[in-house]
This record gives sequence, structure tokens and C-alpha cells, in this order.
Amino acid sequence: MQEYSSQAAYDRGEAVCVIGAGASGLIAVKNLRENGFEVDCYERDTVLGGLWNPQNQHSPLYPNTHLVTSRSQTEIPDFPMPDDWPDYPSAAQMLTYLTSYAKHFGLSEHIWYGSEISHIEPVEGSRFEVVVKPAAGNAARRLRYAAVVIATGHHWEPNLPSYPGQDQYRGTVLHSSQLKDASRLRGKNVLVVGGGNSGVDIACEAAVNAAGCVHSVRRGSWHLPKYLGGEPADFALARIGARPKFLRRFLTDRLVKGPRRLAARMGIDVPDHGPAVEEPVRNGRYLEHVGDGSIRRRGEVARFDGLDVAFADGTEMRPDLVVFATGYRPKITCVSPRLLGVEDGSPFPRLLARMFSPKQETLAVVGLVEPGVGVLPIVHWQTHAIAHWLEVRRGDPERAVNFKTQVVSESAQSAAEPDGTSPRHQLAVDAEEYLASLGRIIDTLEQEPAK
Amino acid sequence: MSLTAWARRARTPEPAPVAREIAYLEPADLFDSDIKDDPEASPVLCCTGDPAGAAAFNASWLKRIASTGRYAGAVSVRGQGGTPAAEGGLDARAHDVVQAAVTVPRQAVLIGHREGAAWAALAAGRYPAAGLVLVSPRQFPKQPPKPVGGPPVLLVVSESESQSKEVQSVTAAYGVAPLTFAGGPDDVFKGAAADGLLDAILSWLAPKN
Repeated sequence: MQEYSSQAAYDRGEAVCVIGAGASGLIAVKNLRENGFEVDCYERDTVLGGLWNPQNQHSPLYPNTHLVTSRSQTEIPDFPMPDDWPDYPSAAQMLTYLTSYAKHFGLSEHIWYGSEISHIEPVEGSRFEVVVKPAAGNAARRLRYAAVVIATGHHWEPNLPSYPGQDQYRGTVLHSSQLKDASRLRGKNVLVVGGGNSGVDIACEAAVNAAGCVHSVRRGSWHLPKYLGGEPADFALARIGARPKFLRRFLTDRLVKGPRRLAARMGIDVPDHGPAVEEPVRNGRYLEHVGDGSIRRRGEVARFDGLDVAFADGTEMRPDLVVFATGYRPKITCVSPRLLGVEDGSPFPRLLARMFSPKQETLAVVGLVEPGVGVLPIVHWQTHAIAHWLEVRRGDPERAVNFKTQVVSESAQSAAEPDGTSPRHQLAVDAEEYLASLGRIIDTLEQEPAK
Repeated sequence: MSLTAWARRARTPEPAPVAREIAYLEPADLFDSDIKDDPEASPVLCCTGDPAGAAAFNASWLKRIASTGRYAGAVSVRGQGGTPAAEGGLDARAHDVVQAAVTVPRQAVLIGHREGAAWAALAAGRYPAAGLVLVSPRQFPKQPPKPVGGPPVLLVVSESESQSKEVQSVTAAYGVAPLTFAGGPDDVFKGAAADGLLDAILSWLAPKN
């Protein structure tokens, strides 16, 4: 096919390119199409659902993954999950949900599977040239789009620590994403490194399956059970946000007093700031396992030594299996870092309002936030704003200018706040504030055009 | 749906879940070789204020709709037909309609009759319906939410109520002129009036969806 050769780029006109067919990509496709855009979505794997699909060869799911935010706070605003599902659906249910979303809105026909984007580059007229990586035996395809939405997520590139002596360590080391089956833990002495949600979940799996479980955690964090005051914890805390300001602090303290005292009893330093500032660990079973001794907590790993692991407090152990639940780092390779506002090689893009490229007005990244609540609704409103923005940009330059000043001022506000305490919290946003700022952006876009 | 409306709803306790009765008929269920399932046509989901709920549509509606090649469904909200009663007012019933709509295979057209029109209108404020049909609305909210995704709206009323205040306020809210059908607002399920009404709705659906 001549038009797909490496010389000529096939012009897709006003169509928008979405990269990734995970949860964020699917929401982006649906919202762009709802606003009248033609959309081509490219997915490097052969299945949809992104990280929720265990058939995805890069899937980061670990045994028994469940949502850590409750159903009502996680579902896509205009496509609720079935109300007879549990409060905290499993990964399999999440995949069922995303599949039915795609089917309901007819999204599959716009997705090109097995198509990785090798790079995108801006061309004249703030359009983009997109190069689709060839599958074996095919020529690279070059296409031109009016806009590009990157929805590749940030749970793909394992963030592996390096401790002294780790290279010479002779035991088995796995990243949490490689632990597909809880049977790998059975009868072993397991060391789990990392105190985030995945580390705590895997420690709980090990507590019931393994012969012994040691959990190495570098610093304290908030531990919330999945239920508070008879309601899902995130729902209970979000409801407090609707109360008058002077009551919020008091009500929050009252609600989290119990979990806080329990965490302190288990020897966890709870940070001084509230649970909303950085993503808390949401697991009700963990502290009970610590309490019955099936999980032993240790400080940071100091070094690996032959078959032994030494901790910073001077103790040593000989694990059969080391699981690094140390999370992921964002990695967007298909676009030059300069377009994402990165000058110094940091993996964390600096975007306007956490979604728009500071250099190119038709490039946006969705879902690159850790809001501490379900990310799907956030992505829904992000893509809602992006779709409206592209529409406004097409027809009404004056409103487009209004919008740009709005976005820049919103980003200036969030940049003034101190960043999270650990590098992994670079993506953290306060859900309340971020949603309010998204709301203001959408209002600016939906204003009646000035006559 | 606006972001603030969603944020408010996400902070309100969800209505108690009920096992909803959903009656549906797919074109293939008619065993008629002349009727082909039309993959382009939007499915239809009906609800009514009639206490019979979904069963009211069994008499002729579901068959007529399915014979145009569409999936035809009807839902009984809480307290109607085979759905057990549960707490909750207008919002809970709209929730029932949305929950039924997301189980339909594709984006559905919502048809509401009587009080059902109010539920369908509220449901269309939170679910991007492919179309919204209001038949003889009653107890309609004063300021219905803006339908998500801007679906086409059709208002059908009986001749006797075409001048009523209620109909005029609905007309004003959506900016659509009402279509009138012969007969009373309650004999829409059977008989000549029902056929005329269905013809009007189906021909309105045909070109757009």
C-alpha cells in the first residue's frame, strides 16, 4: 500500500490519535467521539483493559488484586458499575467493567491492536505526525492527526531499588508485577520490600500463604482500613469534604483516630499531615497480620550479602524469596521530553493542569495523576475538558485565549504547593482541589461564546 | 452532567440495590426470518409510571420495537411489577433506570411514559443516552438536567394534554415542540392509539438512530 510507505504520511484530517487502550484510553476515545471527533486509538498489546487485563503481557497485576478505592468513588461518572457488585471489586470485575464499557459505546472498532507508537512529532499547523511501529514484515506507518492524547498510564516501568550487594545476591528476587500466582509464596520465607498498597497487599498474601513474612518499610505512612464508620473509607472521608470547612478537620480526626492509634501500636510512625495529602495505604487486614505476628515489620534493607539480607537496624534474615513491591515510574518514550516540560531527564512530566503539554496545545496526557481517590472519574473529567478544548480551539479563538490563561493560572496554583515527601508522590494531587480546578477549566470552556 | 453534580452524587449514599425486573426482546426472539438485527440501530429501554412496570410493555411495544431490528427492553423500577419495593424517591428510580441502561448491549434510547418520563430524563442527565423520548410526562422536575452527550429529545403527548402547563414547561426545558397522538394519555399500551403512538416514535427513531 503506497500511502503507508515511510515517505508519505497519511493525513487523517481532524481525527485525534489516542495512545493506549487501557481504562484512560477507553474513556478518552468515548469522550472524544461523544464530542464529534474521529478517533484512532493505538494499543501496543492485543487486548484492551491495560493494566487490568491479565492477558496483557506487561500486566502489573499481582495475586488477588482488588481496587483500593470503593466502587462509588471509582466508577466512570456516566457509566456506573452494577450496584450489586461488592464495594471493592476485584481486578477481574474491573476488566469485565471496562470490556462492557468498550462494548456499550462501540469503542473496539476504533482501536488498532498490536500497534506501538514509536514516536510522534509536531508538524506545521500544531498537528502531529505519528509513526506506528511496524509489526514484523510491515513498513512503518506514518499518519497525521490534529491532536494526540497520551493515555499510556504509569504502571509499566518497574521502579527497582539498588542496594549494596544486590548484584551478588544468590536468592530469588521478583518485582511485584512478576508475582503472578500466590502459590509462589507457599512454604517460603518471604521478604517483601515496599510499604505502598501493593507491598502491603502482597505482605498480606504472604502472611496467609508463606512460611514466614518479613516486611521491609522505609518510612511511615497512613494506614486506613477499607471501611470507616460503617462505610467505605474513601466515601466516608469524601463526605466530610461536603461539610463546612471548620468541621472537616474535627470530623476527619474523629474518623481516623482508631486506625491511627492502631498503627502507632504496631510501631508505624503516622505522618503528621492528614490522610488526604499523600495516598494512604488502604488495607484493613495488614495491621491485624502484624498484630498476630504473621507479618514482621523491619526497617530499610541495608545490604544484600550472599544469601542473607541485612537491615538498617542490624538484624539479618535469610529469605527464600524477595519481592520488590517498589512501584513504578512513569515512562513516556514516544514523545520528546521537551514537549512534556521536562528539561533535566526526570521521568515526571511537568504539564499544565496535569494534562496539557506546555509546548504544544494539541498534545495532552491523561491519567498521569495519583489523586488518592479513584482515577477513572478524574480521567473522565480530564478527557471531557480536552474534548471541549479541541472543539473550542477549532471554532472560537477568543475563548481559546481565555482558556489558556485559565489553565496557566490553575497550574501556577498547584506548582506553588510543596511536592509530596517521596519521589513517588510527584504525581500525587489533592483530589478535592484538582477536581475543583478541572471544574473551573470545564466551566471556562462551556461558557456561552461572547457575542 | 456537570462535574459538581457528579461530585455531589458521589458523596451521597447510593440507593439500596434491588433485583430489577427487566423484560427484553431481541429481534432474533421473534422467530421471523424477515426481521434482521440491525447493528446500527440503537437499542431501546422503556419505563413507565404504571404500577405494572415492564410488563405493561409486553402487550405490543416490545414486539413492535424488536420488529424494527432493535433490542427492546423495559425495566420495572423499585416497587413496580416484579421489582421489590425499596427506599428511595425520584433519584433512586432514576438510578434504577441508569443501572438497567448500562446492562443493555449498546448505547440505548430511553423512553419514559408518565412518571417514567421524569425518571428517564433524570437518567439521561447521568448516562449518555442515544435518544430521549418523553411520552405524556407527569410529575416532571422543574429544571431537568441537561442530557449528557446532547442526545435528540422527542416529546409526545396526547391531544387532551397538549395545552397543559406541565407539557409547556417540558417543551420550554428542552426546546422541542411536542408531537401529539390521538387518545388518552393512559391508553398507550394497547389499541389503535398505541399503534399510532408507536408509529410516530419509531419513525422518529429510524433516520437518526
